[in-house]
Amino acid sequence: MSGLPKIGRAPAAILALFVLALGAAPSAPAQAIPYTRPVETAPQQDAIGGGYRTPAVQRPLPRDYWLQVLDVVLLGAAMGISVWLVLKRRSRRWLVALAIGSLGYFGFYREGCICPIGSIQNVVVAIADPRYSIPMVVTATFVLPLVVALFFGRAFCGGVCALGAIQELVVLRPVQVPRRLDRALGLLKYVYLGLAVLFAVRPALARDFLICRFDPFVGFFRRTGAPHMLLIGGAFLVVGMFVGRPYCRYLCPYGGLLAWCARVAKRGVTITPDRELDCGLCAGACPYGAIEKMRAVGRNCLYCARCYSSCPCDGELAHAKAELVRLKGVAPS
Amino acid sequence: MRGARTGSLVAGALVAALVAVLIADYVVAARRAPQDDKLIKSLQQQTKADASFAPALAAEQKRVTAARLARKGRDDAVAWALIAAAAAFLTLAKRWVPQGQGQAPGGKSATRGSRADGGVRPTLAELDLGFVDTLVSKIGRGKEAAIPLLQAIQTHYRYLPDEALRRLCELTEITPAEIAGTSSFYGQFRRSPVGEHMVRVCHGTACHVSGARQITEELRRFLEIPEGADTDTARMFTLDEVACLGCCSLAPVLMVDGHTAGKLTPATACDALKVTA
Repeated sequence: MSGLPKIGRAPAAILALFVLALGAAPSAPAQAIPYTRPVETAPQQDAIGGGYRTPAVQRPLPRDYWLQVLDVVLLGAAMGISVWLVLKRRSRRWLVALAIGSLGYFGFYREGCICPIGSIQNVVVAIADPRYSIPMVVTATFVLPLVVALFFGRAFCGGVCALGAIQELVVLRPVQVPRRLDRALGLLKYVYLGLAVLFAVRPALARDFLICRFDPFVGFFRRTGAPHMLLIGGAFLVVGMFVGRPYCRYLCPYGGLLAWCARVAKRGVTITPDRELDCGLCAGACPYGAIEKMRAVGRNCLYCARCYSSCPCDGELAHAKAELVRLKGVAPS
Repeated sequence: MRGARTGSLVAGALVAALVAVLIADYVVAARRAPQDDKLIKSLQQQTKADASFAPALAAEQKRVTAARLARKGRDDAVAWALIAAAAAFLTLAKRWVPQGQGQAPGGKSATRGSRADGGVRPTLAELDLGFVDTLVSKIGRGKEAAIPLLQAIQTHYRYLPDEALRRLCELTEITPAEIAGTSSFYGQFRRSPVGEHMVRVCHGTACHVSGARQITEELRRFLEIPEGADTDTARMFTLDEVACLGCCSLAPVLMVDGHTAGKLTPATACDALKVTA
């Protein structure tokens, strides 16, 4: 039972230290990568003559290192806020706001890159191939959500992941997927994860970054992309209006890793047994099939806070003001 | 409500129109691209042979580049409009589409408990019926001995096993009907096996109003007691609903074996069972 010792406030402190360590520590490996490649074969400035000047920038410069670190810090901060909003404030409204913010920043502004989902393959290649190295920020982006999941569950999926956020926002009238079908389809993500690892460990020329190439939503973030991927992405969103977050639940390989980590999480979303009525409104409100027998299942919970917002004992409904309702057919006095 | 509905329909139509524009633009561009490329390639070859074609080539290249840049800008603007329209559609549609009305799949999971009894019932081999034989010889075979016999069997096995009762009918003058009647009439007799620990949840008035039902439900879930049974499959705990434990000021109350725990919540009720560990 006790996969993790009870350590009280320690997880938060550990996380903070972790973030700080990542920010402060090795700036060397990332900056050591030579970006300005001297072109030997092409005619040089002197050979061309006639006052020609080679432009200073041959290709777009990479993002400043401190900005890359800022992305990681923002990722950590967003997950912290997500945990706080869901577990402490129990506020769906603010979580949606956070999701819109994340969609704007990690999605449309950063154009869906760098993201932990795609980083799986980079990390695998870096482990498998000694000549391939990844900067610290990529490692951090990969590890951070998993560490959070170990303690609090899939906080990354809720209001932080841009791919999750875009699907979260399109959920319109979700149907409950039959339990068995849900489980069977859920296995697909592990198949995808296996394929991704398989394609990543192949020799450099045959290597294929599947996850990024078949990312269904990145085309929207960049407003361009392969037509078939845009079409598939659109289809995912249309289906996502009626089946809650299909990519996250059935295909996302990183979701598979997070689900493994979330199994040991002790402080994830719980359906509050203290004050509950056993009314089952939360189970009806969960579009992701993450409430079984009236109890939250941490590995499936996507941190959307719908259960809390639909709870008459807790969250927004409990603190809402009473509203007067006019009944039809009753004469006004 | 109605405004939201019309608004969302308008936004939805806009989404469809913008998607159509993007697709049309893509199709036109995709069909024109090979022709443009072919023209430029032929112009390049002509330029190689005859330098006077150079201005025509440059003009053509400029035209194609301009057209492609214009398409890029146009498509980006349409895409932003599309995103805005989709956002408007979703925001408005959420106003009138009922939210969170899905049926909980709880009903299906509840029926899964029906295989319960099979696991709980002991096999004949487990029971030593020799006890019944000695008991009958000690207490007697008459109808008046029914209650003492049943009490002794209950004390020995902690419940009344069907096999023991059948043996009792063979050995004595008591009929199966009388045994069924007696054992079901008195609350002290039980016909199904009992767990190692007895959990008595008070369902008296005070406990009832302070949530005894929620506590019972939570304990059933926690102990994984199947639907319709009162004992978990490992036969560690038997859950009993009793009328009053006599400490209403501590409501809601439960008793585990000899220990009483009061002022419970569903969460602390599960912790209260740990005294048995």
